[in-house]
Amino acid sequence: MERQQSTTLFVRAATGLVRAWSVTDAFIYAFFSVNLITLGLYIFSQMYYLDGNLIGALLVSTFFITFECLVYAALIAVMPRAGGDYVWQSRILGGGVGFILAITGWWFILWYWVPLYADMLRFEVITPLLAILGAQSPALWFTETPEGAFISVVIVCAFVFVYIAMGMRNYARLQKACFIGGLIGLLLVFLFLLFGNPAAFKANLEAQIPQLFGASGDGLYEATLAAGEEAGTAQTWGGGWALAPIFLAIPYMVFFNLWPNWGATLYGEVRGATDFKRNFYGMWYALIATAILGIVLFVLINKTISWDFYMKANGAFWNYRWGYTETPPPIPVWPYPALFAVLLTNSRVIQFIVILLMGLWFFGWSGTVFLSSTRVIFAAAFDRLLPEWVADIHPRFRTPINALLLMVIPSLIVGALYSWNIFNFQSLTLCSTLVIATTYLGSTIAAILLPYRKRDLYNASPIAKYKVGGVPLITIAGIIFLGFELFLLYEWLIDPLQLYGISYRNISSVVFMLAMYVLAAVIYFGFKTYRKRQGIDIDKVYEEIPVE
Amino acid sequence: MTTIFFATDVHGSDICWKKFINAGKFYNADIIILGGDMTGKAIVPIVHQGGDKYIATLLEQQFELHGQEEVDQMIKQVKSRGYYPYVTNPDEIRELEQHPEKVDELFHKEVLKTVQAWMEYADEKLEGTGIRCYVAPGNDDMFEIDDIIRASKHVHLAEGEVIHIDDYHEMVSSGWSNITPWHTYREEEEPQLKERLEAIVKKLSKPETAVFNFHVPPYNSNLDEAPELTPDLKPKLGGRALIPVGSTAVREIVEKYQPLLGLFGHIHEGKGTARIGRTLCINPGSMYEQGRLLGAVITLNKGKIKSYLLTTG
Repeated sequence: MERQQSTTLFVRAATGLVRAWSVTDAFIYAFFSVNLITLGLYIFSQMYYLDGNLIGALLVSTFFITFECLVYAALIAVMPRAGGDYVWQSRILGGGVGFILAITGWWFILWYWVPLYADMLRFEVITPLLAILGAQSPALWFTETPEGAFISVVIVCAFVFVYIAMGMRNYARLQKACFIGGLIGLLLVFLFLLFGNPAAFKANLEAQIPQLFGASGDGLYEATLAAGEEAGTAQTWGGGWALAPIFLAIPYMVFFNLWPNWGATLYGEVRGATDFKRNFYGMWYALIATAILGIVLFVLINKTISWDFYMKANGAFWNYRWGYTETPPPIPVWPYPALFAVLLTNSRVIQFIVILLMGLWFFGWSGTVFLSSTRVIFAAAFDRLLPEWVADIHPRFRTPINALLLMVIPSLIVGALYSWNIFNFQSLTLCSTLVIATTYLGSTIAAILLPYRKRDLYNASPIAKYKVGGVPLITIAGIIFLGFELFLLYEWLIDPLQLYGISYRNISSVVFMLAMYVLAAVIYFGFKTYRKRQGIDIDKVYEEIPVE
Repeated sequence: MTTIFFATDVHGSDICWKKFINAGKFYNADIIILGGDMTGKAIVPIVHQGGDKYIATLLEQQFELHGQEEVDQMIKQVKSRGYYPYVTNPDEIRELEQHPEKVDELFHKEVLKTVQAWMEYADEKLEGTGIRCYVAPGNDDMFEIDDIIRASKHVHLAEGEVIHIDDYHEMVSSGWSNITPWHTYREEEEPQLKERLEAIVKKLSKPETAVFNFHVPPYNSNLDEAPELTPDLKPKLGGRALIPVGSTAVREIVEKYQPLLGLFGHIHEGKGTARIGRTLCINPGSMYEQGRLLGAVITLNKGKIKSYLLTTG
């Protein structure tokens, strides 16, 4: 018999005994989840009217999200392979809470994420690449028209279908390749910005934007500054370091960096605290690396493009897009820093290659939108809270076709509402973050209570030894992160300064979010009643068998 | 109408075994079935340091214990986790490290001792309840445990047997699996496995209303997804590269005979249900290390599945 030995444990050869996975691999997925280029640049661009320093907001939010990493690494170590928020909350807080919070955060709200993904796809990939290829009208059509937005939604759905059909193994490989390619692209962007200068940028901007997009070149730079000024751009380089404005920028900032826990995994048996640390470091290194890259990018943008110009270009773009002015922005496309960087060369080939490489940040990340939701749909079906057919796998394509349709069809409807801005749906961007943050809130409360409500489970776990002043680390980390989440929810929902657009004053936001929670509750209680009639007691799912 | 409770892969967890035995009463089941892999994977030494002091390391946490009461508590904790506690001293630890064959002997001794204790517990708890209990040891289980199970009064060894569930349903069982990277006790190449399973299934009078209780799930059934491993057994790509590792032989047998119900285990992270043709296939998964008994409660009624529910007990 083969065996591994240590002075503390004798292990025999048995199924499932694997060695520790690589922290680097875990890092890659967490790094993609807090995606600086897609999520980050998209949301930074919308923050033009806030005066809180973005570097400050990045640092402070990173500090608080560190506690999120601790909470999730601890939950995974206590209940590995258990299925995430849904199972943790169901086990600790009860089945109804677990179902409603998980189904809204990991399924319903992702319908709204699809048009946001589509925005990033058309702004960062489709429009710049088409323009570089000389297809000026199609490039602008994608950015400027509702039809272009909606076709981008359809393309996102099609991509995700392909990713799921590829299977997890192939998608994981694709992600790793995209990670390497995306980093090379980012390095090239950094080099352009590092060796470029403001004068060259201004000259090339005014020379190349008209060639690419047909805008007027004369005075483009100054016109953009003026339009940004008129839009109320408040961002300044080096300003806004007081704590209050920094904190007020954070409810926007977390749109991009609240998600390092998406990359968390735990496999393997007969190990303990090491896996807790691996999980934590996988997530936390990604968070820190992203914060550092973000700061480097900000500094380089300021050096060559100038922060003032970048933010005013953003102001000009979103001010028009959100309907606050009828005057189109001088630069007719989304101010993509990578596109601005490659304007420093006249070579269309180099421009194309760099933008394509930067596009890998999108392709390596976008598949996760439906992968996570299909898992939650499956888990709910296994708990008999959804019909069995939702977990069916298509025999030929090996894809969960029904679960995918439950994602895609509502996404297309929400995508259409977003694309044509029906019911002011374009104003709901931060609802996407709020609903998932609420799901995390449930898991955070579960984590705080875990050592007290599931004492045996906690004491038998590898994190039981981590205490601060006699109080379990998971509880302390949970309380700190809970405070942060409550602050975010207060700002989003009450929003005294009217900064985020999704408070109780926005009827679309209130109705949209309430509808999701009501739908989740109806499904839960409806199925519970229906199953009872079939003689199935759903409450038995999580009841612990007493040991006599 | 007959209600079955099925669980699998308790891997030496004392608490999971006890929950399994008590599950019949808890879920009002007539029959309880354990799918295989009863035995644990590790021995945790509790090392006497002299006087009343002992040292034990569990989940990479070192515990200093004082007195028999604390040692007993640690033994209970180790057993709950699915490991075998072994009270020893530094000299014996050195001896074991130098002589691997002695570790093998120790494993055998501890495994058999535990299975014996489990049978005694089951016999006591099931006496007079009318609940029938079947187990089919899995690929990780050494052959010597079979005789201990056979000797039990209320736990029946189901490997290779046709079990009469009720007037409408029979069950066949096997804990054998296809080849794993760990080269365990009851595994063989797919053609041999198919031959073995065919021979068992042929004993059934009515396969279409039968229950197939096979440890390894059908290949590519979504119940058999596990992390892809490197040759040195590290999960590839951070454990995200999932691949099907079930048995093609089991799949072919299920497709060919289309039983009413398939009960599987083996892949702890493969919790779920799937349909292969008309067959409802269930893998309840396993969380034995956390002391949670994952299971499935299934009610059979005249050749049909009336209801089923996956549980986390």
